[in-house]
Amino acid sequence: MIAKSEPLLAIRDLNKQFRGLTALDGVSFDIAQGELLGLIGPNGAGKSVLVNVVSGIYGATAGTVSFLGSDITRLPSYQLARLGIARTFQNIRLFGRMTVLENVLVADKRYLTRPFRSLFAKGAHDDLAAAEDLLERVDLIEKRDALAGTLAYGEARRLEIARALAGGPRLLFLDEPAAGMNEREMQELAAVIRSFRPALDAIVLIEHDVALISELSDRLVVMDSGKVIATGKPVDVFADPRVVEAYLGVEECDD
Amino acid sequence: MIQDYVMQTGVNILLAWSVYIILLSGSLSFANGGFMAIGAYVSAVLTVKFGVPLILAAVLAGGVAFLFGIGVAFPALRTRGLYLILVTVGIAASVRAMLESIDYVGGIQGFSGMSGASPWHVVALVVIVGAALWLLSRSRLQRILDAVREDELVAASMGINVLYLKLACFGAGAFIAAVAGSFYAHYILFVRPDEFGILASVYIVLYVVLGGMNNLWGALVGATIMTLAPELMRGLAQWRPTVFGLLIVVLLLVRPNGLLPFRIPTTGRAKRRAVKP
Repeated sequence: MIAKSEPLLAIRDLNKQFRGLTALDGVSFDIAQGELLGLIGPNGAGKSVLVNVVSGIYGATAGTVSFLGSDITRLPSYQLARLGIARTFQNIRLFGRMTVLENVLVADKRYLTRPFRSLFAKGAHDDLAAAEDLLERVDLIEKRDALAGTLAYGEARRLEIARALAGGPRLLFLDEPAAGMNEREMQELAAVIRSFRPALDAIVLIEHDVALISELSDRLVVMDSGKVIATGKPVDVFADPRVVEAYLGVEECDD
Repeated sequence: MIQDYVMQTGVNILLAWSVYIILLSGSLSFANGGFMAIGAYVSAVLTVKFGVPLILAAVLAGGVAFLFGIGVAFPALRTRGLYLILVTVGIAASVRAMLESIDYVGGIQGFSGMSGASPWHVVALVVIVGAALWLLSRSRLQRILDAVREDELVAASMGINVLYLKLACFGAGAFIAAVAGSFYAHYILFVRPDEFGILASVYIVLYVVLGGMNNLWGALVGATIMTLAPELMRGLAQWRPTVFGLLIVVLLLVRPNGLLPFRIPTTGRAKRRAVKP
């Protein structure tokens, strides 16, 4: 039995430098099992860099990341994915010349790990039911045979999420999934996130919309200039003067 | 005469597929003339100096090229895009230079004494490799490779071991090019290093680019047309190279994505089921 108290992901003193520019400066926090963690902060705070380091796209300059107690800091991206860490991309990156259905089917872990087996596997058909169910849930079933590159913006955003979920991850990073969405689309997105939440051990949601993130998150981590400046429940965090300052600029209410 | 056409076309189809296989994982290789040379020379040495039967020699030569391909691709794949292309050009150039300086295989004078290949060997190979590629095109592996070719960073973030697949493709492409080179050498009876220079590699890539890069038929059609067109133009005498060059330019202008640019979705069966009742 894994102790309930053991965090799913533990980030410790994580540091990332780009040619002398410090993008992450001693970031430490835990992601608990079962939680939906909101990660917020102004542009350039280091949120996406953090996701890129944790998902193995960038190497960390210093610090550690552990997943269920084992050190995963130096693991390559594909091994992290196989452990169950999935992500979406802030700037939508679908496989544009493949169909919507293929974008979801390609994430099937049984074949990702042993790609050559799929050449000779008989009778092991695509798990179409699972893929179609997923497309149903993000309301893309009608578009299943369309090329992903032809999708409208909101549809592409939803396919990003469906593709990340298709691998059956334990921990999912959603990097600004609501960017550029209107109020109605955002509410639909919130419903989608809520609906698949029970299937995951934890979700990290990066988002700028205060209402959306307060509504969905159990807990918030606030970053500014590569540092964590506050953590806590959404109501408490947004009452924190440092957060208000980072978000709204310096002393805007001051007469 | 007709035998020569069949042989030449078959070898060029195999070479085009060897480039296509590497391209499946997103790398454009100008090294395949070099891989072909390795196949030609290794198999020739095996049959002429050691009396190894031709087919076994061709497979062994393919194995050598496979290991060579993976060996050079491993460092080469640290580079991307144009830089990787330049590295593969360098590989082709060094194979030729290497062969020219090895006296054991005749150096710049070339190597002879091999025989025994018939066009039917090559026709059989085209059928076998074509069938394998057709099987691949309907498999999940094809879909995984397509993902790597579309966006390798995203592919990796989904759990695909991108480097492993790219190495496998380089190895397989080198193997096919070398087996084709083996039969070519044993048909043409005499090989020289300068036959396998960079220009040979450029031609092979051209077959694939002109035919279409997204399906196995493109390389086949491209190689066939590019091999037979110059023969059909013999009547043009000294104008033949010029007209041939213009033909390439016109083809690229009219069909910039190749003659057969389409990609076949890997969900063929699923699609049929989706047809409305």
